[in-house]
Amino acid sequence: MDDLNPLAGTAHLLEEVDKKLMVLLRDGRTLIGYLRSVDQFANLVLQRTIERIHVGNQYGDIPRGVFIIRGENVVLLGEIDRDKEQKLPLKEISVDEILDAQRREQEQRQEKHRLVSKALKERGLAVNADIINEDFC
Amino acid sequence: MLPLSLLKTAQSHPMLVELKNGETYNGHLVSCDSWMNINLRDVICTSKDGDRFWRMPECFIRGSTIKYLRIPDEVIDMVKEDAQAKSRNRAEMNKNRGGNSSQNQNQRAPRSGNRNSFGIRSGPSGGGLGNGGMRAGNSGQGNRPPMQGNKLRK
Repeated sequence: MDDLNPLAGTAHLLEEVDKKLMVLLRDGRTLIGYLRSVDQFANLVLQRTIERIHVGNQYGDIPRGVFIIRGENVVLLGEIDRDKEQKLPLKEISVDEILDAQRREQEQRQEKHRLVSKALKERGLAVNADIINEDFC
Repeated sequence: MLPLSLLKTAQSHPMLVELKNGETYNGHLVSCDSWMNINLRDVICTSKDGDRFWRMPECFIRGSTIKYLRIPDEVIDMVKEDAQAKSRNRAEMNKNRGGNSSQNQNQRAPRSGNRNSFGIRSGPSGGGLGNGGMRAGNSGQGNRPPMQGNKLRK
């Protein structure tokens, strides 16, 4: 039967269609939704999508609806295990709370970055902030 | 339903487009192409940090700069209705075709019996065209609709 399948041995996403997936984007965002469609560029259609924000061991979900994601922005995706989803070691908090926590985390990170830059500068190692991509910090 | 077909279905609907640089564009989709280039009208552009806004009557966005598009929930429902309507049409067409082709086969069967087993396939030279047409109908009936059905269901 495998011999008849033209996709045998090729990486593809067709088997993930209609499953509940977590998609990680290149900007670091996490989307969770039902995969409805894919194409040869790995462009995705997600339905009933939520954006999940993690801060420490807390998370918050923001309902987002239907997404058409351009494939090149996807880092990875994977099926959500329903059983394991029931007993997450994380604590869900409200959207406002998680956004607040995210903002604080961001501010801490910026402050740390500022101190590092300052320390480097004092030692004659000027770091050009422009060439550091925030995504990789 | 491929992602870009869904986008085409979403024409004239409001949507949110986020670019790779974090800017977002809210507007109604006017048109799109197979590169995901899009035209929007009545657009509000929002800066990456969300604190500056620009209004513009229309804009064009190059597909390669897009991160994602968010479209209204009902567009997917429209697709489902479309798919159901199409599969109904297809089923009816196949019913008609099925009737024709079985008639043709019945007509041909005795003739092919006089020739050889390839008679059914290649047919007499005069009937080549009709036979070919019939075969196309058969293969369409045999293979394509169920496969498309699967895709749509998925």
